[in-house]
Amino acid sequence: MTNNKIMRIDLSSFKSEVYEDPKLFGKYLGGTGVATKLLYDMNIKNIDPLSPESPIILAIGPLNGIYPIATKTIAMFKSPLTGNLGESHAGGRLFMSMYDAGLSAIVIAGKSPYPVFIVIKDEEVEFHRAYSIWGQSALATERILHSRAEGVGKRSIIRIGPAGEHKSLMANVSVDTGRHFGRLGLGAVFGSKNLKAVVISGSKRHKTENFAKFNKIYNKIFWDAVKSPAMKKYHNLGTPQNVLPLNKINSLPTRNFSQGFFENAEALSGENMSENYLAQQIACANCPVGCIHLGVLREPFEDNIHYKSFKIPYDYEPIYAMGTNLSISTPEALLKLLYIVERAGWGVMETGVTLSWATEAFERGIIGVKETDGLVLNFGDFETYEKVLYNMWNMKNEFYGDLNNGSAFCAEKYGGKEFAINFGKNGSPGYITGRDAFLGFLMGVRHSHLDSAGYSLDEKIIKGEMSEDPSAEVDLLIKEEEWRFILNSLTICLFARKIYTEDLVLEALDSVGIHRKSEQLKNLSRRIHALKYKIKIDNGFDLDKLEFPEKLYRVQTGRGKMDKGVVRKMISDYTSKIREIIREAEDE
Amino acid sequence: MRKVMRVVNRAQCTGCYSCMYACSRTYFHIATTKLSAMRVKNYPGVEGAFSIRICTGCAHPDCAAACPTEALTVRKDGGVIFHEEKCIHCYKCVEACTLNAMQWDPIAREPLVCHQCGICAEYCPNGVLALVEVEDDE
Repeated sequence: MTNNKIMRIDLSSFKSEVYEDPKLFGKYLGGTGVATKLLYDMNIKNIDPLSPESPIILAIGPLNGIYPIATKTIAMFKSPLTGNLGESHAGGRLFMSMYDAGLSAIVIAGKSPYPVFIVIKDEEVEFHRAYSIWGQSALATERILHSRAEGVGKRSIIRIGPAGEHKSLMANVSVDTGRHFGRLGLGAVFGSKNLKAVVISGSKRHKTENFAKFNKIYNKIFWDAVKSPAMKKYHNLGTPQNVLPLNKINSLPTRNFSQGFFENAEALSGENMSENYLAQQIACANCPVGCIHLGVLREPFEDNIHYKSFKIPYDYEPIYAMGTNLSISTPEALLKLLYIVERAGWGVMETGVTLSWATEAFERGIIGVKETDGLVLNFGDFETYEKVLYNMWNMKNEFYGDLNNGSAFCAEKYGGKEFAINFGKNGSPGYITGRDAFLGFLMGVRHSHLDSAGYSLDEKIIKGEMSEDPSAEVDLLIKEEEWRFILNSLTICLFARKIYTEDLVLEALDSVGIHRKSEQLKNLSRRIHALKYKIKIDNGFDLDKLEFPEKLYRVQTGRGKMDKGVVRKMISDYTSKIREIIREAEDE
Repeated sequence: MRKVMRVVNRAQCTGCYSCMYACSRTYFHIATTKLSAMRVKNYPGVEGAFSIRICTGCAHPDCAAACPTEALTVRKDGGVIFHEEKCIHCYKCVEACTLNAMQWDPIAREPLVCHQCGICAEYCPNGVLALVEVEDDE
C-alpha cells in the first residue's frame, strides 16, 4: 500500500476528494503522528468543537493490515469535553476496512443539513439520509446498517447512539462489536455534524514488498502473541484480570475514590466474570489474542416463563467505572448498567466518574431531590442508577442534561470540584495506585491511563522492584509516553507493546520500505509530543494551573498518602520538561 | 481414508481472521483476507456470532458438477482441482456451492479453490478448524 492517501469529506457540500501526501506520511509515519500534524495545521484555536469547521480525523499506519495486532485506528478532533486535543483509539475492523480501501487517513468536516450516514467504498463516498435511524441505539444502528449498507469487502460500521445525537460531551463512537472511540467526546462531534454513522469497506489488495522478510516477521509476531503467557491472560480473563491484584494493593477505586479496597471485588473479578458470565471472547481483525469479552445477562420476563439474553462487552475500566466506583456489587447489576451505557453511546469511564461525583454531591447536600427529580442517590443503589441513566438518555430536566456533559462541567456549575475525579477535565481511569498514575493522567496528552501507564510504575514501587525518586519517576513517564507515540503512529495495540520492541518495530518498518534508525524514531516522538502540547496550550490547556482533585490527597493510595509538596514539585518539574520539549521543537 | 477440512468447533471462533490471512498469504503472498479460499462471516450487533464457510472437500462437489467447461475436476482426496485455462469466468461454481464456501477473486474473475492443505487450521488460535480423516465416500 502506498500509505499516503487522505480522503477529505465535506458534509456541507456532500463532496469528497482523495489525494496523496507522501511528505506528511514520510515524516510522521501514520496514526497519531500524521493525525496530530493534520490537526495542528488546521489551526483549530478559534473553532468551536461542535461547529461545522471542527474536523474529525481517522488515521492508520504503515503496518496496519500487514502485521498482527496492528489493529487500532486513531481518531483526532477538538475535544468538546476538554476544549483542547481530542484523541481516542479503537480496535475492531476499522483499520482493516481503511486498509482495504487504500486510505491511510479520512478527514470529515462540515455539517450536513439533515441526519446522514456515509458509505465509503474504496474512494467513492455515498451520502444517505438517516432520519429513520436518528434516535436508534448504537447497537440497533449497527444491526440496521449491517443489512442495509452494502460494501465492497469486509465492512466496518462506526456510529453514535442517542448520546451523540444530543451532543453529550461524553458521547462515544461505537466501532463494530464491543470497541469504541470512548474518550473525550468524539460522539458529540459526530452529532454536531448530523453524522449518525460511517460504513467503510474496500476491495483493494496491496502487493507485499519482500515476501520472505514479511513472512518471517509475521510469524514471529503471530506465534509470540499466541504463545506468550501475558497475551494468554488477555484472552483468558481479559483486562478484568486486574481487579483482584489491584484490590489487594489498595488501588481499586471505590465509591468515588474514597478508598482502594472494594469489599465485593471478588464478585466483579475477571475470574468470577469468566467463570459465570462470559459468553465468549472475540477479536479485532488480524489479532490472534481475542481479548474482547462478552458477558451474558439472562433475564426472565412475563411471569418468569420467558427468558431473554443480552451479550454485553466488559473490560477492566467499565468494571471500575460502573462497578466498584459506584459500589455496584453484583455482575448482573453491573452488566445491566453497562448495557444501557452501550446502547446510549456514552463513554463509560466519564459516565461512571460523573455518576460517582453526583452521588457524593448528593451525600454532601450540594445537589438534592430538586435536581434529581425526586431520586435519592446512594452508592450501591443499582435501581436508582438505572433510572438516572434513562433520565440522562431522555434529557429529563436541566440537571440530567448537565450530567451528559461530564464531571468537570457539573462540578463547575454545581460545586464539588475537590471530589470530581477528573484530570484535565477528563474523568479518571480506574487506578488509585499512587502519584505516578495520577501524574500520568494529568500530564498525558489525552489524560488517559494508556498515555504513560503511571500505575505500572506505582505497582513496581509498591512491590519493591523500584525505589521512589520523584525526578526519575517524571522522566520514566515521559519516556514511556514518547515511545507510545511511535506505537500509536503505527497504531499497534498497546497490549502487544512487549512484542513490538524497538528492534522489531524498526525491522517491520524496514520490511515495508520505511528505513529508520532508533534516533530518528526518538526525534519523531519528541516532535509529536511538542505538537500535541502546542495544540493543547493553544486551545486553553494552562500549564500553570494543573492540579490533582483535592480529595485524592486525603485518601490512602496503593503507595499510601501523597505528599502534596512533593506532588506539586513533580508537576512543576514535568511542566518545565514539557516547555523544554516545545522549545526544542520550535528551534528546529 | 482421506483428510479434508472441517469446522470442528464453530462456537470457539473469535473472528480474528487469522485463517483467511494465512490462506491468502500462503497462496498469493499478500497480506489480505480477500484471496482466501474460505470465509468467516460475521453477524451484526454485539452477539459476536461467526459462521465459517470452508470447503469440506466433498466427494461429489456441486461446484465441479456446475462447471460447464470442466475447469473444476474432482480431486482424488476430496475437493476440486482448478484448471485455469478452461475457466470461462461464469461464476456458476460459486453459485452452486451450497455452503457458500467457494470464494471468488473479482479481479482475476476466477474461483479461489481450497487445496485442503490445512494452513488455515494451523493458524487458528482457538481450534475451530481441523484437517480430519474421513471415509473415501463421505
